[in-house]
Amino acid sequence: EGLIEFYSSFKEMFEFFCKNTTIHGTIRLVCSGRNRMKTAFWTLLLLASLGMLYWQFALMFSQFWAYPVVLTMSVDSEPKMFPAVTICNLDPSRFELVSEQLEQLERMAEESLTFLYGPKASSRLSQLRDRNRDRDKDGAIRVQAWANLSSAGFSLSHNFSLVRMWDLRAGKKHSRVGFRLCNSTGGNCFYTSHPSGMDALLEWFRFHYMNIMAQLPPELPQHQQHFQDLVYSCQYDGEPCRPSDHVHFHHPVFGSCYTFNSKGTDPFWAATKPGIPYGLSLILRAEQKEHLPLLSTVAGVKVMIHSHNQTPFLEHEGFHVRPGIATTIGIRQDQVNRLGGNYGRCTTDGADVAVELLYNNSYTLQACLHSCFQRAMVQHCGCGYFYYPLPAGARYCDYSRQPAWGHCFYQLYSRLRNHRLDCFQHCPKPCR
Amino acid sequence: AATAPGKRITARLKRTLPVRGPQAPTLSELMRWYCLNTNTHGCRRIVVSRGRLRRLLWIALTLSAVGLILWQCAELLMNYYSASVSVTVQFQKLPFPAVTICNINPYKYSAMKEYLYELDKETKKALETFYGFSEGKSKVRRSVDDWNSTGSDFFEQIPLLKVEDFSRTATELHSGQKRKIEGSVFHKDSSIVNSGDSNDIIGFQLCDANNSSDCALYTFSSGVNAIQEWYKLHYMNIMAQIPLEIKEKLSYSAEDLLLTCFFDGLSCDKRHFTRFHHPLHGNCYTFNSGESGTILSTSTGGSEYGLQVVLYIDEADYNPFLVTSTGAKIMVHDQNEYPFIEDIGTEIETAAATSIGMHFTQSRKLSKPYSDCTETGADIPVDNLYNKSYSLQICLHSCFQKAMVESCGCAQYAQPLPAGAEYCNYKKNPNWMYCYYRLHEKFVKEQLGCQQICKDACSFKEWALTTSIAQWPSVVSEDWMLRVLSWDKGQKLNKKLNKTDLANLMVFYKDLNERFISENPANTLVILLSNFGGQLGLWMSCSVVCVIEIVEVFFIDSLSIVLRRQWQRAKKWWSGRQQGRAAQASDVERQGHENPACIDEDLPTFTTALRLPLPQDSPLPRTPPPNYSTLRLETAFTEQLPDTLELGQH
Repeated sequence: EGLIEFYSSFKEMFEFFCKNTTIHGTIRLVCSGRNRMKTAFWTLLLLASLGMLYWQFALMFSQFWAYPVVLTMSVDSEPKMFPAVTICNLDPSRFELVSEQLEQLERMAEESLTFLYGPKASSRLSQLRDRNRDRDKDGAIRVQAWANLSSAGFSLSHNFSLVRMWDLRAGKKHSRVGFRLCNSTGGNCFYTSHPSGMDALLEWFRFHYMNIMAQLPPELPQHQQHFQDLVYSCQYDGEPCRPSDHVHFHHPVFGSCYTFNSKGTDPFWAATKPGIPYGLSLILRAEQKEHLPLLSTVAGVKVMIHSHNQTPFLEHEGFHVRPGIATTIGIRQDQVNRLGGNYGRCTTDGADVAVELLYNNSYTLQACLHSCFQRAMVQHCGCGYFYYPLPAGARYCDYSRQPAWGHCFYQLYSRLRNHRLDCFQHCPKPCR
Repeated sequence: AATAPGKRITARLKRTLPVRGPQAPTLSELMRWYCLNTNTHGCRRIVVSRGRLRRLLWIALTLSAVGLILWQCAELLMNYYSASVSVTVQFQKLPFPAVTICNINPYKYSAMKEYLYELDKETKKALETFYGFSEGKSKVRRSVDDWNSTGSDFFEQIPLLKVEDFSRTATELHSGQKRKIEGSVFHKDSSIVNSGDSNDIIGFQLCDANNSSDCALYTFSSGVNAIQEWYKLHYMNIMAQIPLEIKEKLSYSAEDLLLTCFFDGLSCDKRHFTRFHHPLHGNCYTFNSGESGTILSTSTGGSEYGLQVVLYIDEADYNPFLVTSTGAKIMVHDQNEYPFIEDIGTEIETAAATSIGMHFTQSRKLSKPYSDCTETGADIPVDNLYNKSYSLQICLHSCFQKAMVESCGCAQYAQPLPAGAEYCNYKKNPNWMYCYYRLHEKFVKEQLGCQQICKDACSFKEWALTTSIAQWPSVVSEDWMLRVLSWDKGQKLNKKLNKTDLANLMVFYKDLNERFISENPANTLVILLSNFGGQLGLWMSCSVVCVIEIVEVFFIDSLSIVLRRQWQRAKKWWSGRQQGRAAQASDVERQGHENPACIDEDLPTFTTALRLPLPQDSPLPRTPPPNYSTLRLETAFTEQLPDTLELGQH
């Protein structure tokens, strides 16, 4: 065998090629040598497929040199259900049961203000309180049956009063205002202090307010405030809303809240057309009568647009609507689907999450985090944080029963924020 | 005779068929069998090639093809896994962006008095002459009164004019002289053309200092715009002469601006803010600028966990001509990004709580050749004058500034200074305003080439903002809060703060979902090759190996045949001429059929295996089935046998 052997004729070469090549079909050219019709047919077929190949190659090359990119996004314009809408009047009601304590607390706030900022600061507060008292005397809603329930065991504690601390920094006198929290043995004390007196006062008030509100029995009277007091007019898609369309709940900070279309099953709430006349239009009354002057400083209406069967966490995603102006809110739904599985942790319905939800609504990350924190709170401090729902068998914290709960809470909370409490590990994001 | 016909035929088959497959006696025979029968292209080529060199080449080719396959598969696998990794990235903690806050008024008006005294006086005078009103305040009247005594620089430099459009004459405001307008007229407002009856058009004229006939008149439909523009022009001249340190002192300090600060549930103070001097907005303060080395992040979304500040907007100390709105300007941006607060800042109002919810989106474009964007800006022939990472905005501003320094000899006040240049003022560069307006017009008309040079940045971060406003402070909390804040502001401030001096701002993440939009090439090299493979396989059942085969046979081999024929013909001709021998038939080319190297590689078919006679006189010549093992019929010989025999007897 030589180093390289050549064919002696074209015919031989061609025949060898056709027999041994890996191209299908060429063998047919040789085999069908005796029938010209067949040879011609196969030649045509081969040439045709070669032509196709050439054409497709050209397409592919032109595509490649155009350097296209892929961006996946789908726009869906199918009719949808209108989302759930929650509105709150930012005016938490003074529950009859604790109004005594709230007045006491306001008096304490006045004292603190006088102590810290001089006598003029608190003048307005007392006026307001008088007005409130007058209104009460006029015989507004008074639930006498509850008067005997009025917790005799609770009294406002003066252990947590605001003080001013001076520290000399950079040659200038700086002061911080805050209150002291200690653990149950009276040690390991720290101050929750702020350079601004406003922040300190608000935080101090909130702390006491929680303790007072914790006295309330879990079953609050529903519809203490009438729907008509907040909503003057309500229309959806040009038709008046029905009483069955809204669900009421009371939030200790945001006041009376109504959720429209919370279930999302009623065909009345199908979103038929885009545009202002086809949506929900409300005329609201932002009342500031019962307003607790130190609880929140804003006035208006808190609004949140959310999914059906979802607990609205107004402090997270709610936004404000200012009184005295017409506000138009356009909405657009973005749906994010996470793949889950090996691609990243997420949960479809929360059933596989180690944390048992305290909210009886669908799974959200916030609901899981709150539930996880509340359980840790009950475990470490022996009582529940007032703003979150209670697990079975637990009570809300108040300092007449657990004098050190504030200390416990602030420490636990900073652990949550620094990711040392494994709530963030236990709570995956929802898959959709 | 006792054995069944089926068994007899298998025995006969075994005898006649050569031993193949796993029963092959030697390893080389097994390899040969495999290579001949496998569907893997290339392998067969090794066996059937003629010549050692050819065979070696084919072995090398096949092996390198195997290597390429491994490489491509690895690439595909890596692609698969890397793609899934980029999806798994989930942020439980999201870095908080930098938030830059400016008072809309750049400098304290009371502190600026000594610099702006002359200018303000003349502006007031202009207002009075034009519109016949004087501000009710006594100080205005006083300043108007003593205006005549002091000489005026400003009106001599660039006077305000009342223009009569028809006659093309202008009345000079301060002297009352009429002058003829030459040169071109620029209307800042195009709607002015229709208002034929209004002849009270106000504007100013900018002339080339070297050639006074080359003038451009700028007119405005509204006197407000004209006076503001004119004021701004002079204001920039004045500010350009004040050194930076003094300007920083003239503007607001962090203590002035920030009353309270709260971030992620903890209080913060001015140490968390970095000062940044903006030429048009004075001192701005950037929260979380990352200059201390750490970037703050939030662990939970919601307004309680974001930045909450109460700003002190000293409304009484506003410049009445420069700014006409009250409030603050804020901008959310990346730490490496320069805040173009004058272009894309959000304004917040006083006596209101503004909550700004953010959605974070990160986008990445593919650079060349997929799109025309730049990764770092290093390939753009414009120096980055800003000390921040590249963006289109930075490039455009830098490009304009460069052109300004080149053609006007000085730098525009609103943008940073290039090396070796200084800001324009008409003491040194009397011509600059005209030059600037001309250049700016060119810039807007894209004649400077900046828009062509500057490219988009490939990756950018974006915070989509949702703003909502509530009344703040509420009626009941107003009283105590203003008291407390006034006290905090310092006891020396005896007056109680007014609620229109305050603005409450909350900036927070609405949720901690990061949206990452990235481009992926639709056609990578792997995909291109795979497409080729698919097409070749679909139409020709061919691969790269068969492309090489075609090259081998139709180019190299056919060339060699042509050359050899030519050579032999030449040799024949030469020898025939040399010896003149006539009859010479022995040198017939050896045809392929006589060639001993050409072995019929066809696998035995049934007919040949059974030594059946071929149907010689068949009207239709039967084509033998192709020698692919897939086409071989190996089963159910017993059923097939009668058919075969029947055919054979034809």
